[in-house]
Amino acid sequence: MFKIFQRLWQVNWAEQWQYRANLIMYLLYWLVSPIIYLAVWTSIAQSKGSVNGFTVNDFVTYYLTLLVVDQITSNIVIHTFAYKVQDGTLSGELVRPIHPMLTNALVNNIAFKILTIMGFIPVWIILFFLYKPDYSHLTMTGVLLAIPAVVLGFFVGFLLSAAITSLAFWTTRVYSIHEFYYAMILLFSGQFVPLTLMPKLIQDVAQYLPFQLLIYFPIQLILGKLSTAQIIQGYLMGAVWLLVAVSVFTWIWRNGVKRFSAVGA
Amino acid sequence: MNTLKLLSAFLKVNIQMSLAYRADTVVNILLNLMWLGWELLSLSIIFNNTDTIGGWGFGELIALLGVFRLVHTLMIALIWPNTEKFNQSIRDGSMDYTLLQPVNSMFLVTFSRITIWRAWDLILATVLIVIGVNLAGDTVTLPYVLTFLLLTVSGAIVIYSLWIVLIALTFWFTKFDNNVTILQALLDAGRYPVTVYPVWLRILVTFIVPIAVATTIPLQGLRGDLTFGRSLIFIAIGIASFLIASQVWKRGLKQYSGASS
Repeated sequence: MFKIFQRLWQVNWAEQWQYRANLIMYLLYWLVSPIIYLAVWTSIAQSKGSVNGFTVNDFVTYYLTLLVVDQITSNIVIHTFAYKVQDGTLSGELVRPIHPMLTNALVNNIAFKILTIMGFIPVWIILFFLYKPDYSHLTMTGVLLAIPAVVLGFFVGFLLSAAITSLAFWTTRVYSIHEFYYAMILLFSGQFVPLTLMPKLIQDVAQYLPFQLLIYFPIQLILGKLSTAQIIQGYLMGAVWLLVAVSVFTWIWRNGVKRFSAVGA
Repeated sequence: MNTLKLLSAFLKVNIQMSLAYRADTVVNILLNLMWLGWELLSLSIIFNNTDTIGGWGFGELIALLGVFRLVHTLMIALIWPNTEKFNQSIRDGSMDYTLLQPVNSMFLVTFSRITIWRAWDLILATVLIVIGVNLAGDTVTLPYVLTFLLLTVSGAIVIYSLWIVLIALTFWFTKFDNNVTILQALLDAGRYPVTVYPVWLRILVTFIVPIAVATTIPLQGLRGDLTFGRSLIFIAIGIASFLIASQVWKRGLKQYSGASS
């Protein structure tokens, strides 16, 4: 098994490396909106002293941490997998004795991630010197506690995206469904603004949805803003959603593959 | 005249193409409305916490959203589909046939694909601008409206020209599939007034990838923030950038050698 992963890694690494110019563009694309939100909120905080208790530094640390967390928890499955179902190239992968999504696509995502992180580190350092965040209240425990949360967030996000991508077995409009999913992330994950600044209703709903596991929960953990009870609740929520995501994905995948072979593509 | 005839032919073909995918069009319009809802919600969240950002009020940001949507439509309805086709034609050599046509190749390359249903976005944008300006309570006089219209057109021309330059670069560097990503990436910066941004970002979106020239500037014209002289400068920039872009395109064509040769 280890050997299989090693080989998959080599192939996917080489594949992603080939598109390194694309990676830079992707990185730029992905950086712009958090920086815009940061600019908007710091300008408000500057003019008013603070927004709902958030000072300029609170916003700066929030968005700079967001960049790191989002970099790790996000994935690109929809872009690297859906077309394989649509043009039939998946057939070749299905006959192999390994799971196309849970091995190949997963390793491909991780390779992509590590490459973008390599490009991201210098950018983050530049941003650090531009914005000079005060991270002095950060604790080692907070950061250590956040590591499993980030990994959990990645897997929940990956499995949900994988489930949505697998809808490609039924419909060609899978990209539209994914666009809707992305809007849900914007609304409920804390991507746009720390969730506490969202309307009360959205905050209440967001607590029980998986999206905050990708962004808000890890950030709050890193910044040391959560009580022990909140941390336990967050992890429980994560465990529940991981189970849900696994079962939804396996169910969609199993039925989808059946359909796929039935069409004879 | 020839150009107009061609344009109407392109429109006809593209309407037929979009009618072939009716359900997709409906889904896309629904998604478009969803994003509008999100944009309005995010603005209301911002203005729950403040009265002005970068010196602009809620109504003015609604109007800015309208102007932003105009540029966004230009991007989605024209720039994306045509770039995709153009990149494809460079790769497989079908660009040769485009060049053989007895019409301006720049026009052919940039107008042959139009995502027709996006036209409704223009109406939506106009509604947003009108509502926004009313909410803001700015006194809008005819000269301001005229300045606004001229600045909007010249801003769109600046973006169009930048696009031409970017895709023309493909003639020099054949493997340049990402030619418009930078435009797309920075587009979001047009949602808010540039006065909000830190200096480096302001310089980037005003001078290097001039999104702001097509969003913030026209609205400043509508509010009467710009002097007559400055408005003229921006209109001149629009004309100049178009002339430069056509020159770059011409030089690029000389570089083009076809996929097979």
